[in-house]
Amino acid sequence: MVSIQDLSFSYKRKTVFKGLDLNLQPGHIYGLLGRNGTGKSTLLRNIAGFLFPRSGRIDALGFEPRRRQPAFLQQVFLLPEEFYLPPISIARWIEHAARFYPLFNTDQFYKYAAGFDIPMEGSMQEMSYGQQKKLLISFALAVNSPLLLMDEPTNGLDILSKSQFRKIIAGAVDEKKCILISTHQVKDLENLIDRILVIEEGRILFDQGMDAISQRLSFTLSSDPEETARAFYSESSLKGNALVLPNTDGEDSRPDLEMLYKAIILAGEKINKHFKS
Amino acid sequence: MNQTFSFPRWQMLVASHWSENRKRYLLSLLAVGGLQAGWYGFLLLLDHFGPINLFIQYATYYCGLFLVGCFYASTIFSDLGSKSRAIQYLSIPASHLEKLLCGILFGVVLFFIAFTIVFYIVDIPMVSLADRIVASEHQHWPNTFLPIGNLGVLNIWNNTWAPILDKRYHFFLFAYFAVQSAFLLGSVYFARWSFIKTVVSLLVFWVVFVLYAQKGIAEHLPDGWHPFDLVRWVHNQDNMASSSLVVLPDIMEWILIYLMQYSIPPIFWIITYFRLKEKEV
Repeated sequence: MVSIQDLSFSYKRKTVFKGLDLNLQPGHIYGLLGRNGTGKSTLLRNIAGFLFPRSGRIDALGFEPRRRQPAFLQQVFLLPEEFYLPPISIARWIEHAARFYPLFNTDQFYKYAAGFDIPMEGSMQEMSYGQQKKLLISFALAVNSPLLLMDEPTNGLDILSKSQFRKIIAGAVDEKKCILISTHQVKDLENLIDRILVIEEGRILFDQGMDAISQRLSFTLSSDPEETARAFYSESSLKGNALVLPNTDGEDSRPDLEMLYKAIILAGEKINKHFKS
Repeated sequence: MNQTFSFPRWQMLVASHWSENRKRYLLSLLAVGGLQAGWYGFLLLLDHFGPINLFIQYATYYCGLFLVGCFYASTIFSDLGSKSRAIQYLSIPASHLEKLLCGILFGVVLFFIAFTIVFYIVDIPMVSLADRIVASEHQHWPNTFLPIGNLGVLNIWNNTWAPILDKRYHFFLFAYFAVQSAFLLGSVYFARWSFIKTVVSLLVFWVVFVLYAQKGIAEHLPDGWHPFDLVRWVHNQDNMASSSLVVLPDIMEWILIYLMQYSIPPIFWIITYFRLKEKEV
């Protein structure tokens, strides 16, 4: 669905990507994690065609994104972190904006909007940031585009809305769609994503499915110094040490995304070697 | 469906643009009409003999058209100056050509028509009011027996009142479309303060052009020759009677005039198209 080969990108003097390779397949919800300034949003905008690679190749749904052809834009929807909604009513916005997307489903939109408890009256610009964001998420999902890119979608959402977001996203994906969610709030993606991508120093440092992570890594609490010494990552807590260990007993372990992320950032090479072994 | 231009898709884009901006546009036209009425009202207070004469109407129309038209053109693609608005605008599934043509439709065609209609909506009743005021107060110009007569409504296609030598040319109309197209390009080129930056750029360009036309070309001419205008070069002897004049053939002059009249806006629109295509957020 998306194939990125040897992507290089830089802002004037700051190099963001150098030789980045990535493949995204339909039927998955990808979580794109990384530190601030590592290029998560830049990657999404390169895929959506709002930024152009300095070298390398991006193929998204058979299109070259930088050409921004209408047929491509109909099939890709980017939900940006900073967004703009015109100062008109929701009904009028839907009437005009939805017509550009052949797969847009109005019933779905109103269902999602009702799920988020969004008031339907008044101008969209009179709504709070959180309500506007939920409205745009509802729109993005109702577009039914094969490729949906979301940049920090849970920023500005309250706790109940975050839970509703997870529920709606999980129900929206099917075998033809691919959703890429960029966030630094890893807890918000728990039980939602089925593949993790970690971006660091201009390349994809880690790219694994949640099943493989459950099988190959163990997330546990322990006070045993031997186990702590074997851990890829450890963190002391009141109940003992929280550890990320190689999974040796063969039983699936429930991944803790925050711990996993920290472990990858601090011991990415070791963990990758463990996955390859 | 065609990826470069599709009429149904362009119609959708136009409808969507109108739906999002109609309130702003209608209020702006109301404000323009209000300013014109205020200006005419001010003239009525100052002058009770010929307050809104044809030259005043001509100057009001063209000053308004230049100022408002260029300011409006500099906002056509101003969404591209804001990250959030630019993403929303560029992600609309329409081609760059359709987006440009939508901008030209609203910024050039519809604005010109709407501005002219608003001008006459204010102009006709205000001129009529001025006529009645003048008729009720004075019959003749001060200290003469010359009758004042009706002021008359300006015909914008009649160039009699243009302050130029050759009244055949609609100089200001052509100049307006040329300058406005530069402001349209400026709205894509400059992310912020596009109006001011375009004004400065045009001034710099104008100074360079005048310097080149007057001084730069003179450097390449033989001794004693200097430029008279863009198509004439003169060699001054001791007196005017013995001066020589070199003139480009008429056909060359006409080609030059036609190019300047008709080619500047399309050239700027084409550059705008490529800037839009290459725009990154």
